[in-house]
Amino acid sequence: MSTLDQATELSPAIAARRSNPSFNLLALVSRGLVYLLLSIAAFVSIFPFIWMFVSSTNTAADVLTGKATLGNALWANIVTFFTTVDAPRIFWNSAFLAIVGTVLTLIISSLAGYGFEMFKSRFREKIFGALLLMLSIPFAALMIPLFIMMANLKLINTYAAILLPAIASIFIIFYFRQATKAFPSELRDAARIDGLKEWQIFLYVYLPVMRSTYAAAIIIVFMANWNNYLWPLIVLQTNEQKTITLVIQSLSSAYYPEWGVIMVGTILATLPTLLIFFVLQRRFVEGMLGAVK
Amino acid sequence: MSNLKLRGIRKAFGNLEVIKGVDLDINSSEFVVFVGPSGCGKSTLLRMIAGLEPITSGELDIGGERMNDVDPSKRGIAMVFQTYALYPHMTVRENMGFALRFAGKPKDEIEKQVKEASRILELDPLLDRLPKQLSGGQRQRVAIGRAIVRHPQVFLFDEPLSNLDAELRVHMRIEIARLHKELKATMIYVTHDQVEAMTLADKIVVLREGEIAQVGAPLQLYDNPDNLFVAGFIGSPKMNFMAAEVVDRDNGKLVVALANHGGTKVALPIADSSANKGDKVTLGVRPEHFADAGKGDSDITVGIDVAEHLGQTSYLYARAPGGEQLIIEREESRDHGALDSLTVAISARHAFLFDAAGKRLR
Repeated sequence: MSTLDQATELSPAIAARRSNPSFNLLALVSRGLVYLLLSIAAFVSIFPFIWMFVSSTNTAADVLTGKATLGNALWANIVTFFTTVDAPRIFWNSAFLAIVGTVLTLIISSLAGYGFEMFKSRFREKIFGALLLMLSIPFAALMIPLFIMMANLKLINTYAAILLPAIASIFIIFYFRQATKAFPSELRDAARIDGLKEWQIFLYVYLPVMRSTYAAAIIIVFMANWNNYLWPLIVLQTNEQKTITLVIQSLSSAYYPEWGVIMVGTILATLPTLLIFFVLQRRFVEGMLGAVK
Repeated sequence: MSNLKLRGIRKAFGNLEVIKGVDLDINSSEFVVFVGPSGCGKSTLLRMIAGLEPITSGELDIGGERMNDVDPSKRGIAMVFQTYALYPHMTVRENMGFALRFAGKPKDEIEKQVKEASRILELDPLLDRLPKQLSGGQRQRVAIGRAIVRHPQVFLFDEPLSNLDAELRVHMRIEIARLHKELKATMIYVTHDQVEAMTLADKIVVLREGEIAQVGAPLQLYDNPDNLFVAGFIGSPKMNFMAAEVVDRDNGKLVVALANHGGTKVALPIADSSANKGDKVTLGVRPEHFADAGKGDSDITVGIDVAEHLGQTSYLYARAPGGEQLIIEREESRDHGALDSLTVAISARHAFLFDAAGKRLR
């Protein structure tokens, strides 16, 4: 008997159970239930995307009647979208805020996470605890004081008003601190003996070793920045400054919303995050599982 | 190569003192091993020498210069870590040349040094591999290579073989011994494995709870331990300890009675006048120093629980009538496993006596 045969040979108990008709039926039903539940979950997840794509090919009237099949208005909707809005401008605004915001958030928050984990101090845990506590404060409660602060700093209707509150993200600091716990302290010791200063250790050792953590953080932060709606709605007040999410929302608040056109805009707004996710997908999974192997 | 001088070295974490005043001289080209149980402070002491832990008080000199506050990279040391600490995103070549790159050495100089180290350690075919593509032994050789290229005055090894399997550990131990011979460098090596300590060291420093228990050549510690701790720590299997009481002093000999062996008396040539009649003491006998019955000074009979036959040597795990456990080593033994009891002899010249505080009585 080959090794494979030996390995796949069933134990007598399992073989007996498999030959029992009532056991077979039970296994079939339970497996069927699992597949049914998974199919429902998959459908719920994927339906908005299907609906978005189907609606982008239909007229507003068809969308409102709940037409769930592909139409022939895609090209007309695309043309309307690009003639109605200043697409290059709003994409540039969104891209600028998302990219600069992501870069700054990653720099500031990863440095903070590294510092919180690497440097011991009497107050470290107290400060970190206070930061985590702030995570529980909803943004709605922070909006007004934040707006007053920005107004006093004369930053309303500037990108600085969007970027400044976001770059020290408590969640990303927490995420980097947790990930840094897996960073071997011997690497830092070895680098110190090799003559590196602390900032060089961060740049030449920590950053490349933790690249999966950074990749996961890029996806999280970029998506949050790209999809940011409420705060930009409050502080950006001229059309020249507005981002794609604000413009799509303004389209839907028209007297007769052009749902097909809105869906074209939504598809275009989804593409960058999808692209980033697919490019960094492998690293994202590694980063979520722990960067250091 | 450099000598080291440690004077009154202390280390405290808050109120907890982990190194309690270490005085030690390490000569140039010497291979010194710090050995001791977990938590004795041996790694902390090594990290203080490396500059990775600040020295709370005391003086550290390397090559005649005070190094207490000098940056680790400027102490003339290189360190090999237990977990190798290779940079995972760099090839073997880049790992080995990394320190030189940051020291501003020209590229051809770095390449030359890396080539030389890889020749010594037979790493040439591995230079373009990443650490994850290497075996444990190869990684440790790269870690040693990374130390060699810096031409340090002192090599520091922090339990470098602990992560390797038994066979590879023996191989790497011989490699390190060969390297020491070839480089003639001062080396400080931390281990909890006393076989590594005995085989590699010119000098062993036995540490206990942040203090030096004894310093000496391996056989000096083995043959002449200063205290109960060193006697028990050096030697494998460890020395047997038997509870005893001083019962007499006769013609320069101290007579003790073994409490768990029916009061069997052993007369030892000990001149120490601090031991008095009635004092509780401990008699130490190494497993290999039990003689055949009648061929020593006092016979004891023990019950045998288990016999381990390793071929040439057998270890008998025995029990005294009073319950005390003993290990007895026998050469070329084949039949002891079948025995229920055995009578062996204690030779006074191979026995050690310790007072109640663990100090050796001589």
